[in-house]
Amino acid sequence: MDKKTFKPKKKRICRFCSAGEDYIDFKDEKRLVRFLTEQGKIIPRRTSGNCAKHQRQLANAVKRARHLALLPYIADIPR
Amino acid sequence: MPYYETIFILDSLLTPEEIDKTIQQVQNLIEKSDGKVLNIDKWGKRRLAYEIQKKQYGFYVIIEFEDKGASPALLENEYNYNDKILRYLTYRFDKKKLRQWEKQQQKRKTEKVSKKKVVTEAPGDDKQIMTEDKNAI
Repeated sequence: MDKKTFKPKKKRICRFCSAGEDYIDFKDEKRLVRFLTEQGKIIPRRTSGNCAKHQRQLANAVKRARHLALLPYIADIPR
Repeated sequence: MPYYETIFILDSLLTPEEIDKTIQQVQNLIEKSDGKVLNIDKWGKRRLAYEIQKKQYGFYVIIEFEDKGASPALLENEYNYNDKILRYLTYRFDKKKLRQWEKQQQKRKTEKVSKKKVVTEAPGDDKQIMTEDKNAI
């Protein structure tokens, strides 16, 4: 077995850019949920692949949605 | 004049009349400071993501309006004073929101036009369908 098999890096694409979206609405929380972890934390850019511009907008949108109780600040963690 | 949007959550245990009354109050405030209410959207009763004042459900109302800039402060004052309102958010449209909003507005207009067309065209369509049915029989 060759241990040094080369894995090509997956190119992550910003989903908002590829969809051609300009504005991220904080009112449709169902879309925002995709960019949260189970605990309700915002997924970092390095894993979600968003571009800086959209990640900033997304973070603001999530924070607004949290304030209006559309999204949880902390989701329940089953123990 | 810049555009604004205000969202507030009412206690879901209120009667429909009380809800309408508070919406009217907010509307009056906006109109008092020379603002213009463009659209009122009632989302209705929804489950909150977390409890607010020991309440699990809330009644969401969204009001879009145009104003010179005086009413957001007035609204905030009212929201803080009013016990029926659990949460609120007022914001001014930025460039991106404005662009999206204008697109939405155009869509609404075209939808309205197309609906009217459908209504006018409908009787003709019915006749066609009827004739087709006869042929089928």
